[in-house]
Amino acid sequence: MDRHSSHYGREIRVAWAITVKDMRTYYTRPPSLMFGILFPFSLFLSFSIGRNVPLATQIPILISQTLFFASSSIGPVVIPSERANQTFDRFLTSPVSLLSILIGKTLAGIIYGAGISVIPVLVGLAFFGSQITSFGALVACFALSSLAFSALGIMFASIPGQTPGQVMMPLNFVRIPLLFISGVYSPIRELPTWMQVVSMLSPLTHTVELARYASGGETFFGPLLNITILTIYATIFLFMGIRFHIMNQRKE
Amino acid sequence: MSSESAIEVSNLTKYYGDLLAVDHVNFEVRKGEIFGFLGPNGAGKTTTIRMLTGISIPTEGTAIIMGYDIKREPIEAKEQMGIVPDINNVYNELSAWDNLIFTGKLYDMPKTYRESRAEELLKMFGLYERRTEKVQGFSRGMKRRICIAMAFMNKANILFLDEPTSGLDVQSVLIIRDLIRKLNQKGLAIFVTTHNIEEANQMCDRVAIINHGKIAAIDTPEKLKRTMESLQSVEVAFETTPPSALKELGELPKVSEVMKEGDKFRLFTQEPPSVLTEIWQYSQSNNLKLVTLNTLGPSLEDVFVKLTGIRPATAKEETEKTGPSDIQRKIQRRGDQ
Repeated sequence: MDRHSSHYGREIRVAWAITVKDMRTYYTRPPSLMFGILFPFSLFLSFSIGRNVPLATQIPILISQTLFFASSSIGPVVIPSERANQTFDRFLTSPVSLLSILIGKTLAGIIYGAGISVIPVLVGLAFFGSQITSFGALVACFALSSLAFSALGIMFASIPGQTPGQVMMPLNFVRIPLLFISGVYSPIRELPTWMQVVSMLSPLTHTVELARYASGGETFFGPLLNITILTIYATIFLFMGIRFHIMNQRKE
Repeated sequence: MSSESAIEVSNLTKYYGDLLAVDHVNFEVRKGEIFGFLGPNGAGKTTTIRMLTGISIPTEGTAIIMGYDIKREPIEAKEQMGIVPDINNVYNELSAWDNLIFTGKLYDMPKTYRESRAEELLKMFGLYERRTEKVQGFSRGMKRRICIAMAFMNKANILFLDEPTSGLDVQSVLIIRDLIRKLNQKGLAIFVTTHNIEEANQMCDRVAIINHGKIAAIDTPEKLKRTMESLQSVEVAFETTPPSALKELGELPKVSEVMKEGDKFRLFTQEPPSVLTEIWQYSQSNNLKLVTLNTLGPSLEDVFVKLTGIRPATAKEETEKTGPSDIQRKIQRRGDQ
């Protein structure tokens, strides 16, 4: 074979090929649609309908929830399914590093989460009078949140299950409680101090805050801290995900 | 490492917790050789192939693939190999064409090259006309062919085949065996695991028999057979068989064991000429007309059974756990008779 490429260029191309394959193969799978789209929209509607608040102020919550659920759902759908029919072994036997394989899969989650979350932004702008006052904050919110949550999904997908449900179940034990401590349905300002500290530790808090800030709303922790903490979480989830998958390979 | 080696394995070991699955295994596969890796279920065949191909990381030991250490130089080592696993791990949601193209992308093959290679392989495997169809609608044999075609995309120097013909129809089996021979004639080293002992006997230059994670024997099929003189046998069939024949033949002098195989009896002995005489006398004294009387050397299957210690009870226990393999079905049948 023509060795036409540098090592890094090659790794990037293979990672992208994995991303595109995952997008074609898994985006329309029922578990992706259910956990990535139906779940956040249903949760949003069940908590928002009947509340006496303008819908425009609720749009950042919907954006945050779709970013959170959609981005973190692709890894837990793709990897157990590929483990079950042994197509994940194809990657492991290919001349590409595990890091690039997982980056390819993380990117599929990022694109899915960010792509779906654009819908509430556009709907908010078009129909509910939402505004974007900080485009930079919105971009940071999308980029860092989808990266952190997609990496969270990849990390959980290291659980050696062979069906999406075997990974989604423990992941939901983490995802659903985070909704209630992240200022999604009750403002952080109104929480007791100890809850505010807990809230600061949740990555979802900083997604919600950045989305609010981008649309002109107030934030409790400030965008700089939001960006810093989301960056830290993205790094931790990526690192832990890779470590766990390497540990799996040792156990294989 | 010898420049003639395609694979060189030293002290390869794998623990699963406290369970020792592969126990300090050593062997060499030469360039251009078809190397058979035989063993009963759970012997360590698949664990070994998974370590050699980089799916699993060895606990101890090294595996050198065309001069590259699979642990220290995995990318270079994996570039040398094509892999056909025991199940058809194709992407069912993709077309036959897209499966091959995606494989080409995993090997970072340039676009024009991967497209021409995919076309060449689909034509070779008789699937070009159906290249745009999703693989999920394909038969098992067609999926197997796609799977093998994917292993050939990168023009590997070594091909790993895990149970390549298991569960396939006769036509697909013949196509695949023929292909393996042709590839081997082109100089490709082939590492094949199989339950089909006769297949290994016909195809392999050398075989290794693994049992309980250890290599029990490595040699050419013919040399392995020659080492088992005690497995010589006499095959006899009578025109009419009395019900007591099995017991009475087993009691003949110099006969160590007797088995009924269809309408024939197989008498194991170290002295076939003496047993031939005994059978002749037995047939005369019982007024039995002989239909067949042959002396047989040990088959590779006999060697396998002897070395692995497989017995009907083992086969039964294994069947209860995982379902029978071909060899176990055969042994089970013998034991039942």
